[in-house]
Amino acid sequence: MTETAEQVAEKTEEEIDLGPANKVIDKYLDMSGNLMPVLQGIQEEYGYIPEETVHLTAERLNVYASQIYGVLTFYAQFHLEPRGKYIIRVCMGTACHVKGAGRIGDTIKERLGIGHAETTEDLLFTAEYVACIGACGMAPVIMVNDATYGSITVQKTDEVIEKYKAMG
Amino acid sequence: MVNLTIDGKQVTVSKDATIYEAAKQAGIYIPVLCYAKKLLPYGACRVCLVEVEQMKGRLIPSCTTPVTEGMVVTTMSDEIRKVRKTVLEFLLVNHVVDCPVCDKGGECDLQELTYEYEVVTNRFEGEKFDLPTDEVNPLIERNMNRCVLCGKCVRVCDEIVGYGSYSFINRGFETKIATAFDRGLNCEFCGQCVSMCPVGAILPRPFKFKARPWQLKEVDTVCGYCGNGCTITLGTKDNEVQTIRFNDETGVNDGNLCIRGRFGYSYVNSADKLTSPMVRRDGQLVEASWDEAIQAVSDGFKAAGDSLGIISGARLTNEELFLLKNYSKALGTENLDHSGGECYKGVTEGLQETLGIKASTATFPQVEKCDAILSIRSDFYETHPVFGMVVNQAIRRNEAKLTVVADKLGKFTKLPNARTLLHKPALELNIINAICSVLLEEGLAKTDGLEGLDDLKKGLKKFTAKAVAKETGVDEEAIKQTARELAAAENAAILLAYGLPYTAYSKELGIAAANLSLLTGIAGRQGSGLYLCGEKANSQGAIDLGILPGAKGIGAQQMLDDASTGKLKALYMVGEDPIASYPNRGMVEKAMDNAFLVVQDLFLTETAAKADVVLPAVSFAEKDGTFTNAERRIQKVRKGIKSKGDAKSDFEILQLLLSAAGKDAPATTTDAFAALTAETSGYEGITLDMLGKQGYVWGTDILKPVTSKLVAVGGGEASKSKYQLLVGSALYHSGTVSTKAKGPNAVVSEAYIEVCREDAAELKLEEGDLLKLKAEGGELKAKVKVDRRLPQGVMFAPYHFSAMELNRVYTGQPVIAVEPVK
Repeated sequence: MTETAEQVAEKTEEEIDLGPANKVIDKYLDMSGNLMPVLQGIQEEYGYIPEETVHLTAERLNVYASQIYGVLTFYAQFHLEPRGKYIIRVCMGTACHVKGAGRIGDTIKERLGIGHAETTEDLLFTAEYVACIGACGMAPVIMVNDATYGSITVQKTDEVIEKYKAMG
Repeated sequence: MVNLTIDGKQVTVSKDATIYEAAKQAGIYIPVLCYAKKLLPYGACRVCLVEVEQMKGRLIPSCTTPVTEGMVVTTMSDEIRKVRKTVLEFLLVNHVVDCPVCDKGGECDLQELTYEYEVVTNRFEGEKFDLPTDEVNPLIERNMNRCVLCGKCVRVCDEIVGYGSYSFINRGFETKIATAFDRGLNCEFCGQCVSMCPVGAILPRPFKFKARPWQLKEVDTVCGYCGNGCTITLGTKDNEVQTIRFNDETGVNDGNLCIRGRFGYSYVNSADKLTSPMVRRDGQLVEASWDEAIQAVSDGFKAAGDSLGIISGARLTNEELFLLKNYSKALGTENLDHSGGECYKGVTEGLQETLGIKASTATFPQVEKCDAILSIRSDFYETHPVFGMVVNQAIRRNEAKLTVVADKLGKFTKLPNARTLLHKPALELNIINAICSVLLEEGLAKTDGLEGLDDLKKGLKKFTAKAVAKETGVDEEAIKQTARELAAAENAAILLAYGLPYTAYSKELGIAAANLSLLTGIAGRQGSGLYLCGEKANSQGAIDLGILPGAKGIGAQQMLDDASTGKLKALYMVGEDPIASYPNRGMVEKAMDNAFLVVQDLFLTETAAKADVVLPAVSFAEKDGTFTNAERRIQKVRKGIKSKGDAKSDFEILQLLLSAAGKDAPATTTDAFAALTAETSGYEGITLDMLGKQGYVWGTDILKPVTSKLVAVGGGEASKSKYQLLVGSALYHSGTVSTKAKGPNAVVSEAYIEVCREDAAELKLEEGDLLKLKAEGGELKAKVKVDRRLPQGVMFAPYHFSAMELNRVYTGQPVIAVEPVK
């Protein structure tokens, strides 16, 4: 039986090594206004903000966990669920929209089963529909992590997905 | 002072007032939703907008705008009306209008404003919230569909309670109030958020569908639990206490309460309460008439002669204690005592020997203005939670520096910039001594006019900061800094709590704290104070009224000891359940078995079950009288409901007993108050009329020490055992009475042994596992609670739960050496 994303998340939750989080906190411990850099650092380390690290941060910085949760849900940059190794950003800006970005999104949904802000069960891919990424000349455009793929088509999308799948 | 004009009226207010406060003071009404007297200004709801002549062109939020000289304010105009109405329309876009089934109906600020501003239709349309109701816990129900995002719950939980359950989460339209990870509420359940909520978003669950607010009769009285003496307002209907109403107009607590005060009332309505006297016949307790019972008591006591002891609880009113004292005289015994007889010695002997007084030197509100606070042993957030809130405000609003001398971490240690001198159990004394020693060594002590300085210096020789740091595991520099801070502070406070589970070194700690208060000049100085806070609602009253062994009498422990060996023939227990809560259960049981035993209580307690005569008494909610709290404030206790069945107040019972002994008793509690003030030192001249909304503090706000005598005391002794058990009280409970109340029981219903994570891992224990401990004198077992606040090797168990039989191994020692049994 394959595990659901939730079960995977639960498992990672249990097995979280707090070492990297502690290191991040150590780095900023004496700085005032340290909550944001700490959370960003933790996300950098884990790819998302595991719950256990929120409680750790609360305890070590003496900030209420509720307050941290408030910050985490306020900013779109923070993620509370594990995210894929590859983040596919599908540009939904005006130019891309006109040139069929919707179809690209649909293709990803069809091939990987993930829509906006969703992650594949194997934690390989996360899809994100974003507003303009500033490459309108190459519309429609997607990004996989830091690599940009312009003038993309349904077929090219397939190729990109296959390439990253092969890389594992 | 600043002069301004509001609606044509000249108003003079202090310069830190806001427009809203100035208007309120002048009796001018401005609507508010997010404002609360005790919280910092916030300006979230925008219904308090007013016009200010000098700030034309926009409306000004009155609750956040400070007054300025010559300001001309208008609180109502067509424009203001229109804008306020629009604000209400906005709020009502998402707000679910389910007033008919909302418990807030009838006292909801939003409902009232909607009515006042005649918001009949709404020009705006939007989605209604459809969020699930938080019904996970039994005490506080949160229905976020009714929330207006005023943030009062978030702020009170942070600014006052210091727990931080809530936060605003998400943003824009999606914004809502939630806990961390948006789960069900799991907190201390003090219900401060309930009392602050202007709408029906946060409600007390036990009160759900019990009554409409206007059907309730409100009676102001004093909480019957701890020595903080919070005033509470009972909401009664059908001769039952249905809820505790919010009231920030009376008393010292500013409307703040803890779980016990707000949710711990149900025992007063309990069907398990005794309703008839009982007399033992042929080995069985059977119901009897009052005449028969009083006769049986009189006969029994007569037979015992002067071989009799009386032990009282500290939740009787002053008037009742006065009658009890008279009754002890009538019986010719000086064997009179209360609360286990040891714990209060820090006050009755410690303070008496040093300062010549037997009470705290200052009042609670003064602590809020202190620069430095030293808290010894108890985490007041647990023992006297509302006093803890005062300390929190001193820190947050006045940047007071808090030092905590404790053997475990707690809420106090988490307060901003709190310094914790975390020491090995039983060594509090050594640290206080070390602080005194630093004061003397560094020339910081104010030694003018102090007696006994040389002796103290001699006594402190071995308590240098260095030696004590090594012995206790506390940082040497931290001890020194604490001494320096206390010496430098203009206003400082020293806090020490006492109670049944804290009997060890009671007297010595009182003396050490008094020494420190003398060397720093804290005792008797305006704005500063030494606070020794009793565990029960009238602990201070019991000391003031002299419910103590007389010169020829013996104390509670000796009485029980003597009764257990047959030396003492009769015992009279008034509102005490020693089998459940006194140290050395085995001995106590034997005492109860041997003696002719009269028990006067609300319930058939374990002690009462062994009695020869049981006299049914009533709770604080069913009687009139006065309590004196830990800061010497005498406050009126008022009857909210009539007693059920044949139960009588302790006052009425003692009237009967006195009359059976052929003595006159005051006819009413009013007469008794007049009589007791005439006889009680410090109470002279006080009349019931003088007990206003804030009560009356005997000895005035600052009680000056009569003597200034330093007394050297030795140190405590640490245990060498790998595992050590601390006994104490837990936040959710107070004594044993709260274990009969649904509210506190809903959160913590049974005993537990708290273990730190490291020990849990080593012993392979998980939350909820059964842990067995071997200790001198017996064995203990209870479920494990894994927590982060204990040092390794130290365990903690609350003393409230009789079923655990903790007092089989707890005999009053500062720390119990234990060994986990596999």
